[in-house]
Amino acid sequence: MRSLREYDKIVGPAVLNQLEQLAGNLTGLKVVHVNSTKAGGGVAEILSWMIPFMRELGIDASWEVIQGDDAFFNVTKTFHNGLQGQPVNLLPSQIAAYEDTNRRNAEHLRPILEPADIVFIHDPQPAYLLNLCPNRKGKWIWRCHIDASHPTRPVWKYLRPLLEGYDASIFSMAEFSKSLPHPQFLIAPSIDPLSEKNIELSEEEIAGIRTRYNLDSDRPILTQVSRFDRFKDPIGVIEGYRLIRKFSQAQLVLAGGGADDDPEGAEVFRLVEEAAADDPDINILMLPSDAHRTINALQRCSNIIIQKSTREGFGLTVTEGLWKGKPVIGGDVGGIRLQVINYHTGFLVNSPEGMTQKVRYLLNHENMIEIMGIKGREFVRENFLLTRHLREYLTLMVGLRRGFASRLIAAA
Amino acid sequence: MAKVRENNGKESNNTADVSPFQIKDCALIVSISDQLPALNLREFRERVASCSIDAIYHHFCETVLRSTFDDPEFHNDFARWARRGLHDHVLAERLEVLNPYEYADLEELRKVVLDILDDRLSELHTISWALHDNQFFFHSATTVIFDTSLTIESPEHLGPAVSQMTTGSIYYHFWEARRRTPEHTDDFTEWLKGWDGKGEKMITALSHIDFYYMRLRELQLTLVDLFNEISGNGAGK
Repeated sequence: MRSLREYDKIVGPAVLNQLEQLAGNLTGLKVVHVNSTKAGGGVAEILSWMIPFMRELGIDASWEVIQGDDAFFNVTKTFHNGLQGQPVNLLPSQIAAYEDTNRRNAEHLRPILEPADIVFIHDPQPAYLLNLCPNRKGKWIWRCHIDASHPTRPVWKYLRPLLEGYDASIFSMAEFSKSLPHPQFLIAPSIDPLSEKNIELSEEEIAGIRTRYNLDSDRPILTQVSRFDRFKDPIGVIEGYRLIRKFSQAQLVLAGGGADDDPEGAEVFRLVEEAAADDPDINILMLPSDAHRTINALQRCSNIIIQKSTREGFGLTVTEGLWKGKPVIGGDVGGIRLQVINYHTGFLVNSPEGMTQKVRYLLNHENMIEIMGIKGREFVRENFLLTRHLREYLTLMVGLRRGFASRLIAAA
Repeated sequence: MAKVRENNGKESNNTADVSPFQIKDCALIVSISDQLPALNLREFRERVASCSIDAIYHHFCETVLRSTFDDPEFHNDFARWARRGLHDHVLAERLEVLNPYEYADLEELRKVVLDILDDRLSELHTISWALHDNQFFFHSATTVIFDTSLTIESPEHLGPAVSQMTTGSIYYHFWEARRRTPEHTDDFTEWLKGWDGKGEKMITALSHIDFYYMRLRELQLTLVDLFNEISGNGAGK
């Protein structure tokens, strides 16, 4: 396990001192994070580094994962889709499956959650636990990682009363926040620059991955890394790519895996394979959830990173691409807007045609690929690395302990 | 960062018994304000009139400390939204030119902003609207301030010490100080008043920095250069 001090060379010692000083106000605090998957997706990735680092800073942090069956994850996927604006129906039997699963999990989680000083509940899957812990001692925070800017009515009508009971909520962007009767905070996610997914790789290792997947190093490589999820619009990427092929010999990589809590991944993967037909230059890779170095190498051997989502909570794959010095062509939605700045770090697009046009522009202006790459990496260094993320969580926790005001003087 | 110690005070004279400069740091957590978001210019005007003064402060002064792209065109959120949300270039330019530190207090700044918005409303035949997903959300922030336990003993040590600071410290001692010091200046200037010689030169040089249009890293490099040059410490970068 890495130590925070290993980040010294990337962010500087003063940033690490800052974390230690803030955490000095939180020593021994019992903090529990709860989500629904240990592997796959951005939330699990964030928690896998956040918990050990909170512990290193003297906080008694732990991570609990709720267990559910297919019926439960089908309902929570309905929540997810509904919060992101897809029309869905919510049946009484689905609500019962959701609440029953939370009830079963509460049996063993209650002794952990009720005495905790601060509980972070991630996304809707474990949100019902609040109602099942009547003797809770600490503050309960709902952390929404989803683009909830346009939720469908049935889902929001059910979830809103549940969420009202929380002491505060956290969103990645103001646009995702909702009318709720408690304080709402903004914390953008981040990446770990020393993780397998983001660490520097040797040229040999990158070349090895290129060879393994039959990628031609003499032709441009366009890559979208994401779960096989409709909102990531892999079919739209293929449409855009087919237009690109009229003027470029570029190759396309669609790489991703499933998450334990996403039952639709296999179906979307099948549709993507169908859309790609037998085009040898479209590489569809269903990777295991621990294929971090492979994804790292694929991003590094790409010329341009694509993330053409139609809804996006934040888009950590965008952050990863920028960190590797690549321009990103991303959907003009959600957290991608925070990261992709036209003509600075990439381009925002709204259609396959838009994607085609921007790829064409960049392939014809290779100096822009380099300039945007440098700017994107520095942008991530200053704003979207885990040290900033951790600092904001610590600041929030100091505020929760001390009461919020415009200025708080922390203990020395 | 090691504690910065006295180096015999060869260059500057301590005119009184000046305490060491206490290096503080701060961290920000941004929250959504109670105000509803604004979708058009008229709503925006109403919200600006009634939002908390902390929200005005946040959108003009705390933007440098937030995790956002440093927009080279706009330095306050109101101007940025006028341009990118309402697509009103004239309004954006009028708001962008405002320097919040030129006003005695933030209520005065609010009045100036409202004047600009009222003028614009009177000039337009139709109210400008933003798209639904480009509304203006009012924010405010909690700043947690903490002591780093580090001190600076004399002006000669300012350059090396500032070069090791976080952007949080730079913000606290240079920007945020203007909200709490009696003369609305920075903490370095306040402290240097206790020193003559190079201390006075530094105060004069600090007063000439056009800091509002700098990113915190740029300001940090400017300060390091300034302190090192006057102290004879060599190049700051």
